[in-house]
Amino acid sequence: MAKRKTAEGDMLQGTLDMLILQTLVLGPAHGHSIAHAIEQRSEDILQVEHGSLYPALYRLEDRGWIAAFWGTSENNRKAKYYRLTHAGRKQLATEASRWERLVSGISRIMRPAAE
Amino acid sequence: MGWRHLFRRADRVAESAEELQFYLDAETEDNIARGMPPEEARTAARRKLGNPALIREDVYRMNSLGFLETAWQDIRYSLRTMRKSPLFTLTAVFTLALGIGGNAAVFSMIRTILLKPLDYSNADRLVQFMSDDPKQSGRDNTFTQRQFDEMKTEMHSFSGLGVYLDLPENMTLSGNGEPKAIQGARVSANFLHILGVRPLMGRSFVPDEEKPGGPAVVMISADLWKTRFSGNPKVIEKAITLNSTRYTIIGVLPEGFSFPFTQMDVWVTKPSEWSALPSRYWYITSWLIGFGRLRPGTTIEQASAELNLASHRYAMAHSDRNEIESMRLVWLKDRLVTNVRPTLWILFGVVGFVMLIACANVTGLLLARASSRSREFAVRTALGAPRARLIRQLLVESVVLSLISGLLGLMLAKWALSSMAQISALNLPGVGDIQLDGVVVEFTIALSAITGVLFGLFPSFRVSRPNLADELRESGATAGRSASARPRVIAVSTRGLLVVGQVALSIILLIGAGLLMKSFARLQDVDPGLQPANLLTAKIALSPVRYDTGEKRLAFISEATQRVNSIPGVRDSAIAMSLPTTRWLRTNIQIEKQPWEVDPEKWPVVQIQSVTPGYFRTLEIPIERGREFTERDNSFGAPAVVIINESFARRFWPAYPLGPDPVGQHMREGADRTGWMEIVGIVANVHEGSLAMDPLPEFYIPCVIHPPQTAYLAVRTGGDPHGYINAVRKQVQTIDRDEPLSDIKTMDEVLDATLGQRRLTMLLLGSFAGMALLLAVIGLYGVIAYSVSQRTQELGIRRALGAQQGDILRLVMSQALGLTLAGIVIGITGAFALTRVMRNLLFQVSATDPATFVGIAFLFLLVALVASYVPARRAAQIDPMAALRIG
Repeated sequence: MAKRKTAEGDMLQGTLDMLILQTLVLGPAHGHSIAHAIEQRSEDILQVEHGSLYPALYRLEDRGWIAAFWGTSENNRKAKYYRLTHAGRKQLATEASRWERLVSGISRIMRPAAE
Repeated sequence: MGWRHLFRRADRVAESAEELQFYLDAETEDNIARGMPPEEARTAARRKLGNPALIREDVYRMNSLGFLETAWQDIRYSLRTMRKSPLFTLTAVFTLALGIGGNAAVFSMIRTILLKPLDYSNADRLVQFMSDDPKQSGRDNTFTQRQFDEMKTEMHSFSGLGVYLDLPENMTLSGNGEPKAIQGARVSANFLHILGVRPLMGRSFVPDEEKPGGPAVVMISADLWKTRFSGNPKVIEKAITLNSTRYTIIGVLPEGFSFPFTQMDVWVTKPSEWSALPSRYWYITSWLIGFGRLRPGTTIEQASAELNLASHRYAMAHSDRNEIESMRLVWLKDRLVTNVRPTLWILFGVVGFVMLIACANVTGLLLARASSRSREFAVRTALGAPRARLIRQLLVESVVLSLISGLLGLMLAKWALSSMAQISALNLPGVGDIQLDGVVVEFTIALSAITGVLFGLFPSFRVSRPNLADELRESGATAGRSASARPRVIAVSTRGLLVVGQVALSIILLIGAGLLMKSFARLQDVDPGLQPANLLTAKIALSPVRYDTGEKRLAFISEATQRVNSIPGVRDSAIAMSLPTTRWLRTNIQIEKQPWEVDPEKWPVVQIQSVTPGYFRTLEIPIERGREFTERDNSFGAPAVVIINESFARRFWPAYPLGPDPVGQHMREGADRTGWMEIVGIVANVHEGSLAMDPLPEFYIPCVIHPPQTAYLAVRTGGDPHGYINAVRKQVQTIDRDEPLSDIKTMDEVLDATLGQRRLTMLLLGSFAGMALLLAVIGLYGVIAYSVSQRTQELGIRRALGAQQGDILRLVMSQALGLTLAGIVIGITGAFALTRVMRNLLFQVSATDPATFVGIAFLFLLVALVASYVPARRAAQIDPMAALRIG
């Protein structure tokens, strides 16, 4: 339990959750392709710590933001797919707006002050 | 994450394994596609994913219930470690179970007997009169009706004052079915009013009914009402026959009502008119006990002072006695258990001691074990276990251990209590009700949990701070040598201190038990004044109606002894008003030619005993001077003669056995005023009251003078008295089938019954002390054995440097001896301070009896030497080479 609390307070962790949710907006995907999608779409600026990807997926699933199902991968192998749930969409909206505010706040500080 | 996941966890773990495998495969394929060789591709994929085990662990932890989860782990781990070291576990569990069980049992007794409130309204205002004479502390003060009535008029602190007869009265209930022996209480008419109890049905007594010659009315117990009258609501106003007298039932008492004694069947009033006594004694003998309800706002001290004043006034006005008995009031609830109260608290202290010793022992065990497990903890710390987790692990282990012991202890206590209930000699109020109720179970569980935390905390704080590098480097066998040995040296001395404490506590207990045993032995050595072996006794309560005259009673008594004498194998038989230790009767007397007061009430009081001629022969009471009674003495119209005992002779002829011969002198009895009776013989003293009481001056008269209403039969048999019971019963029944024998016991049993409570106390304290000794010795052995195993190398070096086996033996034994001696010194000091609380339980033994103190100390020393010899011997036999090689 204690673990989860610090995870929630961890901004990066929250960010990873948001990125996963955002990736799944396009449609269901399995863990490997989610990681790839994040890396590719950020033009490799964001490297997904794969070690934390799976715990994050389970966490999101537990909160009911994503749902998992077993499907067949592009090369015909059994794979676990994740899709966004309705709650997940709402959560994504919340996270996105929080993120915007955060980014604008940070950028205001980082921009040289025009006095 | 919730319970749901906890149970589905295995599925999820399998699922995630599969998923991770998929990831690895996919990533490997991607890498191959990027042109890597397959081997490298797979390695790169692995590297990217990180440690799958850690991921799985993360996932696993997400699905855990945190604290609960790990607690369960800890518990299972504890159980596993306990299973792995069964010897340690068994020792610890049994040690604790003994301690906890003892506490639970004694706590149940205390709770039932001392702590439960009386069932009366405002019972905290109820008091009882008690003698304040230190010589008979704890004994009730008894009055005559006259004394009580006079004193009552001077006492105003009470909203109600009443009396009851000091003893339950044996009665025969007849009519309405088979005759039945029942127990009755004699109480003043206002007793229910004072107690604040309403009858279940009917009414209580009214004042007229307690006056001499008042109507014969009775209240019955709810039990009797149900069994004898099948709960018939129309029982009121019905007549029943008690001791051949017709009584009218006026009321039924509530269920469980037990005043003034337990297991009463009926209550009658006219408290002085005890049917066991000849009626002329009724209003002049002291058999009544006063009790009352304090007026609101009056303290018990004020009321006590008032009582004392009244008692002094009465004594000044009436008594010849120079010593005026000082009195005090005690709370009614306390008085009902006065005689067992100190015993119980002492027992509670004793089991507390045993518990402490047990805890010290188990702490010692845990410390030793923790030291030997230090590597385990070092490894766990190295693997990342936080300190709190280690402490918790150890705490959980000790709590689990003590809870198991607690359960076992509860079972032990239950068993102990049920076997205790069998011992009727205990004679406690409500002893049958003693059981393990919820409170006791809670007490026990709390006790064991607290115990577990206490003795678990200590070692766990110590071992949870291992010096990682040292622990991991060293092998278990040599740990304890290098710089890291420092904390462990402290551990040994901590254990040493624990042992000293254990030794001290058990010395105190042993001395206490020793004193009790010595008292008991002294008591058993007391010559009862008669030969108890092969002596059968029984009681006959002659109906006061059918045997209303002395002639009728004497006829029955004479025929009974004759018939019993005719049984083959019976050597002699006699009938007396009472038998030693059953009860006794006192009366005022006057010696001819000695100065005397006019008022017979001021004459000296001595014991009186009415016997058939064969009495001294049957009981084998030695005749010191003169002769015994003859049949002629026991016939109507014969000159009145008496036989006195040695105490009597010494009291009135202080120079006896020198000086003027009492034989041939004359005395008379105050109550009777029959005239002078000649002293014809002097017999040895008999302990009439109990073995612990000094024999009092006593005189015997032939039955013919006072043929007793309730008589005791004594039969001297040729062999085992039990074989004669049926024959004796049959012979007595042929005289009158409505006069059954009761209380058939051998004299040994009669005497033994007076020792019962002492024996029980001695047995309990003795076994607890034995337990303590055993535990302390185990503790001592453990410490010495452990320190030997820790010092193997040092001892090896000593041997290599030339120490002889004897030197090593001495070295180790002197360590044991040091601990033991320290413990003995502390223990003896403690015993000096503590044994005085048990002074009242002792008989002819001082609370600081030097022989006991020294004897116990030596006993302990001896046992300790034996216990330490075993490990010392092992130490002496250490092969120096082998010991050095280990390092």
